[in-house]
Amino acid sequence: MLKSWKLKEIVLMSLFAVVFGIIYLLFLHVGNIWASLIGPIAYEWLFGIWFIVSIIVMSIIRKPGAAVIPETMAAAIEVMLGNAVGPRLILAGVIQGLGAEAAFAATRYRHFNLGVYMMAGAGAAVFSFVYGYLLGGFAALSTEYVLLMFVIRVMSGAVIAGIGGKYLVDALLATGSLRGYAITKRDAHA
Amino acid sequence: MRLQSVMHMRNVISLQDVSFRFPDDEMPVFEHVNFDVRAGERVVITGPSGCGKSSLLYLLNRLYPENCDGIVSGTVELFEQPASMYVPGEINRRIATVFQDPDSQFCMQTVEEELAFTLENMKVPAAEINARIQKVLKETGLESFRESVIQTLSGGQKQRVATACAWVLEPEILLLDEPLTHLDPVTAQDFVKWLKHLHEKGNLTVIAIDHQVDMWGDFFDREWQMVSGKHLEPALIREPLRSGEVAIDAKELAVEPIVSPAAFTLKKGEIAVLAGPNGSGKSTLIKALCGLKSTGGSVSPERIGYVPQSPEFLFITKSVREELSFGGGSGIDEVLKRLYLDEVSESNPFAVSHGQKRRTAIGAMLCDGRPVITMDEPTAGQDAAALRELENLIIARANEGVTFLIATHDMTFADRIADSLLLLCAGELSGPYLPQTVWKNHELLERHHLLAPSGGESCDQPHESFG
Amino acid sequence: MINRMNPSVKFVMITVSMIAMAFFFNPWTPLVFFMGVVLIQLLFATVSWKTWSLMMLPFLLGAVGYFWTTLVFGNEDSTLGTALSLSFRVLAFSSLSLLFVFTTKPVEFILSLMQQLKLSPKIAYSILVGYQFLPVLKDEFFQIRQAQQLRGVEVPKSPVKRVTAMRHLLIPMLAGAVRKAERTAFAMEARGFTGEGDRDFYRKITIGRADAAGSLLILVLLCGSMAAGWLL
Repeated sequence: MLKSWKLKEIVLMSLFAVVFGIIYLLFLHVGNIWASLIGPIAYEWLFGIWFIVSIIVMSIIRKPGAAVIPETMAAAIEVMLGNAVGPRLILAGVIQGLGAEAAFAATRYRHFNLGVYMMAGAGAAVFSFVYGYLLGGFAALSTEYVLLMFVIRVMSGAVIAGIGGKYLVDALLATGSLRGYAITKRDAHA
Repeated sequence: MRLQSVMHMRNVISLQDVSFRFPDDEMPVFEHVNFDVRAGERVVITGPSGCGKSSLLYLLNRLYPENCDGIVSGTVELFEQPASMYVPGEINRRIATVFQDPDSQFCMQTVEEELAFTLENMKVPAAEINARIQKVLKETGLESFRESVIQTLSGGQKQRVATACAWVLEPEILLLDEPLTHLDPVTAQDFVKWLKHLHEKGNLTVIAIDHQVDMWGDFFDREWQMVSGKHLEPALIREPLRSGEVAIDAKELAVEPIVSPAAFTLKKGEIAVLAGPNGSGKSTLIKALCGLKSTGGSVSPERIGYVPQSPEFLFITKSVREELSFGGGSGIDEVLKRLYLDEVSESNPFAVSHGQKRRTAIGAMLCDGRPVITMDEPTAGQDAAALRELENLIIARANEGVTFLIATHDMTFADRIADSLLLLCAGELSGPYLPQTVWKNHELLERHHLLAPSGGESCDQPHESFG
Repeated sequence: MINRMNPSVKFVMITVSMIAMAFFFNPWTPLVFFMGVVLIQLLFATVSWKTWSLMMLPFLLGAVGYFWTTLVFGNEDSTLGTALSLSFRVLAFSSLSLLFVFTTKPVEFILSLMQQLKLSPKIAYSILVGYQFLPVLKDEFFQIRQAQQLRGVEVPKSPVKRVTAMRHLLIPMLAGAVRKAERTAFAMEARGFTGEGDRDFYRKITIGRADAAGSLLILVLLCGSMAAGWLL
C-alpha cells in the first residue's frame, strides 16, 4: 500500500496531524471539565473534531490509506506530546480512521464530494462509538441515553468532520498551496 | 593554476538541451538549457526568482522529476551516465544537498540522531556510525553540538548542521540551494569562510544557487547566469521630512526581562530601522509597541500597524479587497490603486506573490487606520528586484506621510532607506542615530553584530562561536 | 524497571489489559487493578508524583461524571455497583495510561514500533519529523494568533463559535505545513532516505529481562483483579 506514496505526502500527513494534534489537545481539556459536570455525553458533540484530519488528508491525496494512516499518526503524535489518555488513543485512532476509510473505500476512491465526506465523518463516528461502547462500558447505560449519545456523535462526525473538513479543504485549495497533489489534478473533479 | 587543472577534468554534470515543465502547466519552467560542470569546479547559478534555478538543482539530485511527475526533455547526465539510470537514493551519496530553509530540513531531534539517520540511509553498518559521526563533527568544528536539539539552534548553526549532514556522506558534489538566505550578514560571512575551509579539505565540486554573489567573496570559479536578471525598477527619490509632527511617542516602554525601559519618538513620515543581533529583543520590542505584549510605560498612538516576516499570518479573508476592508476602514479603492493591487484585488491573499502579500498587509494596516507601521525582517530571501520593489514601496509610503519602524539585519538596505537607526543590544535600546554616524563607529557596529553596508569596512569578529 | 521496559512490549501489555478490563462490570476488578497499578508505579517506576496527581485530577472529575451519569441514566440492570465499576474503570485506564506516558521516551517509542512491530520507516520517520516540528508549529500558532488579534479577530466565548473561528488560525498553519512537509521530505530524500525496511539501526531498542519481569507483573495483576471480581 505504501509503495505508491510519495514521501512528501506522508510527511504532509504527519505535519497536519501535529497541527490537529495541538487542536485536539486544546479541546480535550475543555471536554474533561465538562465531562465532570455532565458526564461522558459532554464529549459527544465535539467528536467530529477528532475525525477531521482523515477527511482533509484523504481529499488532498486520494489514495487508499489516506484516511486511516493520518488519523493513527495524529493519535501517535498526541501520545508523544504527553497526552494522558495514552496508548489507547492509538487504538482509537486506528478504529475511527478505519470508519472514515470505509466510506471512501465504498466509493472505490472515485468520488470526493460533500456527501462522501459526511458519510466518512459518520462512518468514523459509528466505528468509534462501537469502540467506546466496549471500553467505556456504555452497556450499563439505558438504551435511550446510549442512543442519544450515538445520534449526537454521528451528527457531529457528519457536520464537524464532513462539512467542516470540506470547508477547510476548499479554503486551503483556494490559497494555491496544494499544487502538485491529487486534489489539483485536472481530472480530480470528474 | 587551479583553473588550468580543472580544464582537463571530466564533466561530472552535463545538461544538453534540457527543458522541464510541470504536468499541469502549459508553460515550461525552463527550456533548452545547456550546462556543464567539471570535477572540482565551484560554480554559482544566478537568475531572478522564479526562473527555475531550484527546479534545475532538483534535477541534479534526482528529487525531480519523480516528486512532481514533471516532464523532462533533452539529456541529463550525472557522472557521464543518464540520470534516469540511477535508482532512488543511489545518486544521493555522491551528490549531497543543503537547502535554503534552516527550519525545515531535519527529521530527528538532535544533531547526533540526524547524522545517524543520514548514515543509516547509506547502509553504513551500525558499528561504524559512531566513528563516522565523530569524524565529521571534528572536521566541521561542531563537536560541542553533538547532543544539541536542532530546533533550539540559531539559523546559522542549523545551516552548519545541514552542511555536516551533507558532508558526512563524503560526496563528490555539493549542491547548495541559497544557503545564506535566512542568515544575517555576519553569520552568512562566517558560513562562507567555514565552507571554504571545508572545501580545502577535499577536491569537491560545489554548485550553488544564490542571488547575493557578493556575499561569497572569491569563493566561486565561475558564475552561470541561467536567465539574465530583470531590469530593476528605478529607485524612488526620498523626499525630505517636511513636518515636525510627532507620529509615535514611546515612554518607559519595557518588557521584563527582555527589554529594559526605553523611550523614543519618531516623526511623521520618518523611516527608522531597528537593528541588533538575534535574540536582542527586536521582535519583542515591536510586539510591545503594537500592544501584543503587556508592557510598562506608554505608547501613543494606541493603534500601530504590524507586518510580520510572513505577511500571510495577518490574513483572514478570501480576497485582497476584503482583507483591506476587514477593519471597516474607507478609501479601499484608492489604497488598492496606490499599492498596485487593483489587478489582484479579487484574488485569494494567500495565492498572490510574496511582494503582493506584503503590499496587501501594508494596505490593510493603512485602511485599519494605522499610519505607523512596524515591519519584522522584511528583507529575508529577497532577490535584487524584490528588494528594490520593497524599498520603493516603503519610500513612496513615507513620502505620503506614513511612518515606518523596520527591524532588519541588512545594513545595505538600511543605508538606502533609513532616516535614523535605533540599536538594540541585550534589551538595551540606544539611538536614534544618523546612519552615517553608525557606519563610521566600529565599536557600535561590533557591539550590535552589524556589518557596515557593502563597500564599507566590516568587523572581523565572528559573532557566533562554534566550539 | 518499568522505565527500562521496551516501549512496544509495554504498549501491547497495556492495550491487552485495557481490553480485558472492558468485560468487567463489578466494582472490585477495576479498583484492585487501579490500586495495583499505583503500587507498581510506587515500587518499580520512577515517576514525578506531583505531575502525576495533577494529570490524574481531570480523570478523577471524569470518573465522578461517569458515576452520576450511570446512576441517573443507567439501564434497569445497573446498580450502585455498576456505577462504581465504571468510575473505577476510568481511574484504572488513566493510571495505566499515565504509567506508560511517564515511563516512556516518545522518540524511543516510535523507534521501537519500527524495530519491534515492523512499522514502515516511511511512516515512523514522518512521525518523528512531525514531533520535532512541534515547537516550530506551536510558535507559529501563537504568532498567527497575535497577528490576527491586532486585526481585531477575538477569541469568541461560545464554544460553537470557537470551533468555527479556528479556521482563521488553521488556514495559514496548514498552508505553511504543506510547504514545510515538501521541503523536509526533499531534504530527507536528498540524504538518501528511500523508506526501505532493511536499516541497520544506530540506536537499537532491545527486549530484555525487564520486559519479561514487567509483563509478568502486569499479567499477575490482571489475573488477580479478575479473581477479586469473582470472589468479592
